[in-house]
Amino acid sequence: MIYLIEDTINGILMGSIYGLTALGLTIIFGVLKVVNFAHGTLLMVSMYAAYWTVALSGLHPYLALVIVVPVMYVFGYYLQDIVIKPIFKAEKDVREPSTVIIVTTGVWYVLDNLTLMIFGPQYRTLPNNPLQGKMIELGDMFISVPKLWGAITAVATAFAVYYFFQKTRTGRAIRACSLDRDAASLCGINQYKIYNMAFGLGTAVTGIAAVTLVPFYNTFPSVGVLFDIKGFIIVVLGGLGSIPGAIIGGIIVGIIESVGPQFMTATWTEAIVYGLFLLVLFVKPSGLFGVKYDW
Amino acid sequence: MKFNRFWTATAAAGLLISGLMFTGPAAAGEETIKIGNIIPLSGPSASVGQQGKNAREMAVEEINAAGGIKSLGGAKLEMLYADSESKPEKGVSEAERLINTEKVNVLTGCWNSAVTYPTTAVAERYGVPFIVPVSVSDKITEQGFKNVFRIAAKDSWWTRDQFSFLKDMQAEFNTSVKKLAFVYENGDWGKGMAGQWKKLAEKDGYEVVLDEPYPSTATDLSPVVQKIRRSRADVLLLVSNAADAILLTNTLAEYKVHLKAIVATGGGHADPFFIKAVGKNAQYLFDIVEWETDINKPGAKETNAKFKAKYGYNLTGEAVDAYVSMYVIKDALERAASLNKDAIRRALAETNLTSGPGMIVGYDAVQFDNSGQNSHASPVLVQINDVGNGLERITVWPKSARRAGYTPVFPKP
Repeated sequence: MIYLIEDTINGILMGSIYGLTALGLTIIFGVLKVVNFAHGTLLMVSMYAAYWTVALSGLHPYLALVIVVPVMYVFGYYLQDIVIKPIFKAEKDVREPSTVIIVTTGVWYVLDNLTLMIFGPQYRTLPNNPLQGKMIELGDMFISVPKLWGAITAVATAFAVYYFFQKTRTGRAIRACSLDRDAASLCGINQYKIYNMAFGLGTAVTGIAAVTLVPFYNTFPSVGVLFDIKGFIIVVLGGLGSIPGAIIGGIIVGIIESVGPQFMTATWTEAIVYGLFLLVLFVKPSGLFGVKYDW
Repeated sequence: MKFNRFWTATAAAGLLISGLMFTGPAAAGEETIKIGNIIPLSGPSASVGQQGKNAREMAVEEINAAGGIKSLGGAKLEMLYADSESKPEKGVSEAERLINTEKVNVLTGCWNSAVTYPTTAVAERYGVPFIVPVSVSDKITEQGFKNVFRIAAKDSWWTRDQFSFLKDMQAEFNTSVKKLAFVYENGDWGKGMAGQWKKLAEKDGYEVVLDEPYPSTATDLSPVVQKIRRSRADVLLLVSNAADAILLTNTLAEYKVHLKAIVATGGGHADPFFIKAVGKNAQYLFDIVEWETDINKPGAKETNAKFKAKYGYNLTGEAVDAYVSMYVIKDALERAASLNKDAIRRALAETNLTSGPGMIVGYDAVQFDNSGQNSHASPVLVQINDVGNGLERITVWPKSARRAGYTPVFPKP
């Protein structure tokens, strides 16, 4: 019983962090209606940014947020503005801008290989950071401190993003754009600027996820791929474009991954996660919190 | 890309030069013995191929400088290199070319097991002795061939040695190990190793309390670590790739999992960046490798120093096996005193090399069994520990190769 509680807690903590890594993906999809294949790569870039910030300054890992979040916002904003927007404009009469998906795949390959060239293939872990290896020990139970911090950050970030979309003027403009690009344009909203902002916001949120991961996870050029696949599953599970869906989808995956292995071998839990993914696609293609109808 | 082209160019130049060199001494009427080497000099395994080439060159230079093969009137060894590009079909066609056009006396190669396997069949057909310095796949020496001789230990011997090591450590430190946990990556490699562990554990009477494959791409290994912790195993045996080796080592330390020892199987644990990435969490870990620079064998240090000065990096397991091969060939040629293929093959089969510059390996002799496998070959076990120069890999097993003055830490405090 105590094992079950321990595993569930670990699953919820790790799952919230998975949710946070997928949050940026769902924001970008919700607004641009584009599946961003470069999402894992953006996470990788953010992890390098966080890693170097902490490694060079020796600050507490979470203080890296002050640098990583604005840097990644600007990175995402201009990535969209310079690389993706021209393709968007070229395809503006097409309902599903599928070429954009190909472009994001290109961004993925270019950035991953660029990182490999610049930083080499080695695995980097933050040396001696105040969170590393910290555990809360409750009797026989272990709770990882860096994961706890990560989970709290994930939930706080999700609330903040939700509030931003609901209550602020910019947030409403972004939502208007996501509901109907043309109508929003007619109301005087500059849709391409909104796209840049949404992409920047998605990337900045990914930056937050990176900061939570760096204290206990390895940073290496292909790290994005591992979280990429998970991110897609989580987002489809929770509903594409849904903010609470991303976090709850993440927690579901986290719990399966953490509790499952106590009853079977760890490789089976992967099969269960993918099986659930397929099941959701069959039964409720819009996901648990997704909107049923296409806008 | 640039790199590949560079190596291809080097390989081509090397072939050209060795071709030119052949016409030189032959014209002078001096006898040379041609050794054809099929190794990957471009493509994905190029760096390992280059290590083998450098080691062969150094050995041959030494042999020729010391007067060549005395029983053949001081005949010199002549090296011919062919690039396999890690492709089986390329290895086969290069073997045909070396045998028919270049008329080589002995062949060596090919590092990639997949290349060595079909290429040895060509050598067998023509009756040309083929030395395999290192290609670990078991089946290479299980084809019933008469002309194939392998220096390195085969796959199944790695697990065998992990278990012999466990047995020896228990006797040496008077600590008993009863419960084993197997945790391995869910690929061909990990599953293959674990399959052999299971048989060995049954034979040696251990209780297997955990048998757990995991996906190498896992982003969180704490569930697996929890299972290790709850299994209350004495010793944990691991097969891991790079990222998961780091993650497992750190997570095991975080959960304060108490084990008498952790024995890893190279791979991610032998990665040059592993120790740097996990730091103190790697302390006391055991790992199995082909060779380590600190091995306590006469001449090992000097040979490594010479190699490093010449090529700029330490000898690797692959390089040592290639280096030894040249001395095995020299030894056989001396005894054969003939360039007749059969005479060379017979001499190789009777090899019992126990001393000389080549014997810097962890075991005591090179002797081939009926299948052509070096029956003494064995990898060494190292322990990661800090003896005043930061964490490093220290050879501990077999005892004859143990670093002088080091006592392994077992069980783990």
